Amino acid sequence: MLWIKIMGSVMLVSALGFWGLAGAHGIGRRSEELKELRFALAFLEKEITYMHTPLTLALERTAAVCHHPIAGFFLESAVKLKAREGLTAGEAWGQGIAWLKTQSHLKSADLEVLNTAAQQLGMSDSSDQRKFLMMIQEEIKVQEEKARQEQRANQKLWSYGGFIMGIVIVLLLI
Amino acid sequence: MSQGEVRNLFKHEIMPLLAPAVRRLFSRVEPQHLLKVEEIRMRSGQPLIIRGWDGEYGLDANNGLTHDINRSYRVSGEDIIRTIAAISDNSLYAFEEDIKKGFITIAGGHRVGLAGQVIMQQGQVKAIKEFSSICLRIAREIKGCAVPLMGSIYAPGGKVNNTLLISPPRCGKTTLLRDIARLLSTGSRQHQPYHVVIVDERSELAGCYLGLPQLEVGPRTDVLDACSKAAGIMMAIRALSPEVIITDELGRREDAEAIRECINAGVSIVSSVHASSVDELAARPIMSELVESKIFKNIIILSRSKGPGSIEKVIRWD
Repeated sequence: MLWIKIMGSVMLVSALGFWGLAGAHGIGRRSEELKELRFALAFLEKEITYMHTPLTLALERTAAVCHHPIAGFFLESAVKLKAREGLTAGEAWGQGIAWLKTQSHLKSADLEVLNTAAQQLGMSDSSDQRKFLMMIQEEIKVQEEKARQEQRANQKLWSYGGFIMGIVIVLLLI
Repeated sequence: MSQGEVRNLFKHEIMPLLAPAVRRLFSRVEPQHLLKVEEIRMRSGQPLIIRGWDGEYGLDANNGLTHDINRSYRVSGEDIIRTIAAISDNSLYAFEEDIKKGFITIAGGHRVGLAGQVIMQQGQVKAIKEFSSICLRIAREIKGCAVPLMGSIYAPGGKVNNTLLISPPRCGKTTLLRDIARLLSTGSRQHQPYHVVIVDERSELAGCYLGLPQLEVGPRTDVLDACSKAAGIMMAIRALSPEVIITDELGRREDAEAIRECINAGVSIVSSVHASSVDELAARPIMSELVESKIFKNIIILSRSKGPGSIEKVIRWD
């Protein structure tokens, strides 16, 4: 009976501990993803404003220089545009965001910033494109800073909090 | 152009450019009716209008082409945006220079004229935004359409007559000039081939897309695309050693001067001008000087009396 109690306690503490660690990892991932997204948008800006690369190809090239899940977002948008089924760049971008929502640690506020690009992407001259892509990079940078602050404040809490919560529950049950 | 060819042209080159709602309407039109289509006019909030060689049509959701324009599908602002997005591959920034000229030439050589709010900067067009209408002009190659004219264009002694095609708009001048370029550049059993330069100011003769002619202009033809006629003629004489220069729609004083240079350099010229008769042309000072100087040995007057490209009269100044 004692063995069962010990085993149960260990399992409970481990499960909650790992849940906490995963949460802490997620907090770190968000700021990393925002940083990669910012670099990717800078790359897309160069492709559009200096190279005048058609949007579908520019999105594919941007996907090629980043990692999952940011790469997937650009690739998803490019694939939707390539199908030439009457979708505008904004709609394809929106579908990319929907995909990113399921695959990343980004919050809805981050995705909302990305969504502001939808209306203008591709549909104005290069100086306009530069202006709004730079603006989005600035806004993403603000989100990134917020994510880092949050990370500093919460990462330790999540890392230890899971184990502590596990131990407290075990003590209460015993 | 056969019905099969026109069906393929619409399926692969035109329909993918149209907003889905307009595309669905076109997918119901029979190929024999598509044969007539020369221009598709879309204006925000107005009926869709199709200009065919035999008149104007609307496009009704139930009955296809209709003469009653009021029954035609009403184009929405969204249709305009979606069509422009498809035409530019969602990349208007890549067509900045074209948009400043007011049109985009697309794959297949078709020309899309745009209207909307024009942004000016220091007296020059900087951009067009808030698009309100689209004029899609379908480029048609009619290979061999210039064959009946070639007898008057070839001159004895292996030369080419300086030739001027005269007609009102939409009588087939551009299509004929393109075919003349192709025939001169290809040659035949009776006639040697010539090195031809096309100075294509409005990108209509060769329909260049990304610098490459989309329409057949012959194996010995160089194209100076989107280049002004006067500058292009001088560039061609200096750098491309042509035997014949072909260009469209003369009208400015510098065009006339460049043509004189061209003739003095021993290069033949085949060109066109908007007018319905020689008398009408003579009323325009620059063109009357050109005609009276008898630089053009061969003047061909065209009309639409038997469809586009009908030859009304050939005047020789030998």
